[in-house]
Amino acid sequence: MSNVIEQIEQQIAKLSTKAVRKNTGIIRTIADGVAKIEGLSDVMYNEMVSFPGGVIGIALNLEEDEVGCVILGDVSQLKQGDEVSTTGKLLSIPVGKALLGRVVDALGRPVDGKGPIDAKESYPVEKIAPGIIVRKSVSQPLFTGIMAIDSMIPIGRGQRELIIGDRGTGKTTICIDTIINQARINKVGLASGDKNFRPVYSIYVAIGQKQSNVVRTISALEAADALQYTIIVAATAGDNPANQYLAPFSGAALGEWFMENGQDALIVYDDLSKHAVAYRQISLILKRPSGREAYPGDVFYLHSRLLERSARLDGKGSLTALPVIETQAGDVSAYIPTNVISITDGQIFLETDLFNQGIRPAVSVGLSVSRVGSSAQIKVTKQVGGKLKGELAQFRELAAFAQFGSDLDAKTKATLERGARIVELFKQAQLNPVSIEVQAAVLWALQKTYFDSIEVKHVVGAANSLKEFLTSRKDTLLTAIRTKAALSPEIEADLKTACDEWKNTFVTKA
Amino acid sequence: MAADKQTKLLAKQLFKLSLVNGAVSPEQVAGVLGWVEQHSPRRPVALLKVYHHRIAIELAKSHAEIEHAGPVTEATLKLIEGAMSQRYKRVVTASAKPNAKLLAGLRVRVGSDIYESSVAGQLATLSV
Repeated sequence: MSNVIEQIEQQIAKLSTKAVRKNTGIIRTIADGVAKIEGLSDVMYNEMVSFPGGVIGIALNLEEDEVGCVILGDVSQLKQGDEVSTTGKLLSIPVGKALLGRVVDALGRPVDGKGPIDAKESYPVEKIAPGIIVRKSVSQPLFTGIMAIDSMIPIGRGQRELIIGDRGTGKTTICIDTIINQARINKVGLASGDKNFRPVYSIYVAIGQKQSNVVRTISALEAADALQYTIIVAATAGDNPANQYLAPFSGAALGEWFMENGQDALIVYDDLSKHAVAYRQISLILKRPSGREAYPGDVFYLHSRLLERSARLDGKGSLTALPVIETQAGDVSAYIPTNVISITDGQIFLETDLFNQGIRPAVSVGLSVSRVGSSAQIKVTKQVGGKLKGELAQFRELAAFAQFGSDLDAKTKATLERGARIVELFKQAQLNPVSIEVQAAVLWALQKTYFDSIEVKHVVGAANSLKEFLTSRKDTLLTAIRTKAALSPEIEADLKTACDEWKNTFVTKA
Repeated sequence: MAADKQTKLLAKQLFKLSLVNGAVSPEQVAGVLGWVEQHSPRRPVALLKVYHHRIAIELAKSHAEIEHAGPVTEATLKLIEGAMSQRYKRVVTASAKPNAKLLAGLRVRVGSDIYESSVAGQLATLSV
């Protein structure tokens, strides 16, 4: 009994008698997830505002008479006249390794039913991007596991590479393949016990997507055992625009934790077109002046400040960004695509025509570019794939020209034959990333004309057969390529022996 | 009828005219109301509503509303008036308003600031 009394007394003692100052306001109007509040004279821009029932909002418009707040949560319980108070805090979310393998919302709250997250730290959602002094140029590769990308449009750690294309052209697939490939590399690297190995953790931000698509992505990552290295931030189409607007910034905060703690992370923003639409919706409700395509004037700053947070820091880690943009009818000159193209360090353009021709991934070599990735490319890829982009571009040009006539000289015919084989070789099944050493071996075989005698329609099968042959029987050779990251005369001799052996087996089978 | 941009702008100008040394002057307010009556500007009702709103907000900044559970002496009111006047660097008047829901203690409101020193407020803080 006395214990109970003591507990109550302790609780009373904790209650400070000092007056607590709160800055408050009253909801004047509330509509479409945005509240106009009278009062809040001390509110700061982007400050968290507390609504009744534990609902949180962010002050986005500080006007002379009122404050415009976006509400992150259930607005159905809020009404005109409710009291609102400032919190003095900027919006923060839990960060750290505890979130790996989890699906969270824009505020970092778990939505996967796996229980609470035991995060020790929190980071502000909005943060100024790292400055010039602390940055380091991109020089370490980040392998996507997609041959066409790793060999021709290489991506480095800390780079921002845009993935752009119409709907249904495989943009998300490239991102998921990249995440799966990071998980595979992490497993191999961590198992090897190499102290210099730096795993890459992935963050996938789903913005305005259908819930069924997000579930499919989670299942694909689970099936590939990649979810343990991944955090998913979901702000689906059913979430209010405020959450969709915040989700990429929350994802960036999660990635920054890895970067600032000396680790590497990859973040996928899928997609920023829907993000811009959500921001436009909020801005129009807040009565901000609208500009081109009714987007607010600061839509460029919205994406630039987000993507500038991806960097490689000197003495610390890196955050690589793969923003996704959906175009309409292949129009890359629309407002949002041009904005994001100009912010990023290159783009991978996916073409509907190529996709429909069965060339998947449908990477348009002519329009795709990586501005900084080549300095991050390892020597072996440069050795085997250095000329591929030029050869493929030449092939596309000649292929278009050759449609009008059948009389072609031998050189043109040879270029067309070779180009057709390269195109076939780059065809790759989804959710099946290829390790860099296998890619190098296959491309070496291409350079050494091992595929020249194979009919174009059998090249895909032959490439798959070679990959299987190498992974199942030539593990030592692949390990040598991976560790040395260059083709020495000994490795080339081993590759020749292996390819000769495979060619005999393959020809026998065919 | 909602006030348009011009009406809001005029209300703002009238509001500025109503201040003397940063405080609302009753004489100036009377003058403004007289001018509105004489000149009958566009949308007078909307104009007066906006003007009223602005004046009310300004007056609230100079007034401490003290909600209390239990007795509050005149000396306490004077003490709070003095403290608030010093804090906001303007003359703040205080008025008491009983509120049994506070259980015990005080809650002082000056403009959009609330100074919570009631048991009900502290219990609410604990419950979060």
